[in-house]
Amino acid sequence: MFKNYLLLSLKVLKRKPFYTFISLFGISFTLMILMLVTSMGNAMLGSNKPMTDMHRMVFMPTVERFTPFYDTLTVVDSIVMTSGEMRYDTTYETNERGRMVTNGPGSFHFLDNNLRDLEDVESYSFINSNNHADTYLDGRKVSMSTYYVDADYFRVFDFNFLYGLPFGQAAIDEASKVIVMTDKAAKNYFGEASAAVIDREVEIGREKFRVVGIVARPLVENEATGGDVLLPYTTIDNKELASTTLGGGFLAVFKAVSPEKRTSVIDQLAFYADNFSMPPDQDFEKLGLDASTYLELFADRMVPGDSQNTDPSVWTVFGPIAVLLVLFLVLPLINLINLNISRVFERKSEIAVRKAFGADSKNILYQFVLENLVITFIGGLIGLILAFLIIQYVNANDLLGITRLAFSFKVFLYFLIVILLFGLVSGILPAYRMSRTNIGEALR
Amino acid sequence: MIELKNISKSYRTDTIETLALQHMTMSVPSGEFLSIMGPSGCGKSTLLNIMGLIDEPTEGTMTLAGKEIAGYNGAQMARFRNEQLGFIFQSFHLINDLSVVDNVELPLLYRKVGGKERRRLALEALARVGLSNRAKHFPNQLSGGQKQRVAIARAIVGRPNIILADEPTGNLDSQMGDEIMEILLKLNSEIGTTIVMVTHDERMAKKTHRLVRLSDGERVS
Repeated sequence: MFKNYLLLSLKVLKRKPFYTFISLFGISFTLMILMLVTSMGNAMLGSNKPMTDMHRMVFMPTVERFTPFYDTLTVVDSIVMTSGEMRYDTTYETNERGRMVTNGPGSFHFLDNNLRDLEDVESYSFINSNNHADTYLDGRKVSMSTYYVDADYFRVFDFNFLYGLPFGQAAIDEASKVIVMTDKAAKNYFGEASAAVIDREVEIGREKFRVVGIVARPLVENEATGGDVLLPYTTIDNKELASTTLGGGFLAVFKAVSPEKRTSVIDQLAFYADNFSMPPDQDFEKLGLDASTYLELFADRMVPGDSQNTDPSVWTVFGPIAVLLVLFLVLPLINLINLNISRVFERKSEIAVRKAFGADSKNILYQFVLENLVITFIGGLIGLILAFLIIQYVNANDLLGITRLAFSFKVFLYFLIVILLFGLVSGILPAYRMSRTNIGEALR
Repeated sequence: MIELKNISKSYRTDTIETLALQHMTMSVPSGEFLSIMGPSGCGKSTLLNIMGLIDEPTEGTMTLAGKEIAGYNGAQMARFRNEQLGFIFQSFHLINDLSVVDNVELPLLYRKVGGKERRRLALEALARVGLSNRAKHFPNQLSGGQKQRVAIARAIVGRPNIILADEPTGNLDSQMGDEIMEILLKLNSEIGTTIVMVTHDERMAKKTHRLVRLSDGERVS
């Protein structure tokens, strides 16, 4: 029976080319856009290398120093008589009215001395991502963002090493002049990203660094993973390491032992900041450690909100996107339902004939739902191919800047679910209506 | 074969109740070729629809092929139609998207019959109506008479005991009408299929075993 329905579906689609074209156009275009949006979402927020463990990560991009100002409010609760004397029962409330703030990455000195002993942390890394280097090769200028990192950086972030290996603690201790590059940087600099690049030298700031590893460029370059080249932090300008001020050029990323323990890490940082006694030579009274999850960090970068509470901005960013997505899915769905209703209405007499010759309502329902699924799958396949081609084009030409689109099995799975839902929802209602066709009336 | 007892059918709207059939009692023995005549709107098609389980009577009982039909649900009626009944309509009602042979196969789709066997039976039915050479054509490539022959092939492919024909020659010229009538008469005499045919054509009705006349929803002869 299934085979018959399937063959019939294909026959019907072939015999009605205009309807088939209109339906396929709508379905494939909608699904292509959905695929692109999904793959963009997956690239930006999915657990892809080197952020596979993003759900365990806590980012601390800045160290805040501030002095709050308070308002004192006097509230008279009651008037009481005690031993013949009248007395006001008064409470005082102090509300923060504002604060004087300075904000920026922390110094290596501060991070090194204060944040190495957090509990529930599996690994952590201090990263200096503030530098750029212009190098010249054969008279050609190559501009690269240089990240100075520690050995644990490669434990926190699981970079995909295409060739070679990361540098280890020994390289840090000895301030070895070694370098890990992304494949893109290697191509820019050497014209190729291959095993042959390993052990070749890159000149950065008049010093020569030996290439020890080449990593695949991350899909999204954020402030912790966006470096074109990664160098041992001990090779950085000594002033950065020697400075004893609170502010500096380093951000910290902590990887909790489990996703659940991530809150514990954030709480410890908040507790530490609250109880930090500010050195007397500082211009500010208090410390704030701006720790957040990657999602919060992402939302905060898109819509900078109140630094005290980043949670609402997650919804500010993702709420409208979700509404738009739902609308984008629902509008063509309604359109398709409409198209299907008029199409099955045209076939009322066919349905009546089928029922007269023994089809029951269930048979009719199955037939039309399957027909719809077939066309949705064909449309979906076209959408998939189009999306794939667009993704290739966008990535090859870096059209989205720091983001590249991911095309993964997970995206394919979402795609299948969306198609199935699309096909079922747009097919069931018209098919159900038609399965109730009154034979006598339809054949009159 | 077909037993109708006191069958009435009325259609009710908010304001008017129309009586399409009134207290109809009749029986059609197995193997009979019965024709029903009467003016337009006298209830002929309603009667045929009730016999074909396409419409339900408001009153009365019916026995078809020895089975009391009252109380059948939708799926049971569909199954009964599939196994026991074949329909021929005035305007053919072939499915234009399907080839001739696929149209003929249609009743077998709702039975447990394999693809090859279905095709064999459909070609056999087409041979019986003289249309073997048109199996791969589509309905809109056929003449009216050929379409009706395909419809007959579709009606007989499942070897039903009863064929219900609603003005099968009504849309055809007299020569083609005669050809269709010949096929129906042959089916009746050779296989013994019971046929109930609604017609406006006195000439056709005379070729059948018995004629029942209706007027205003009642049997007049």
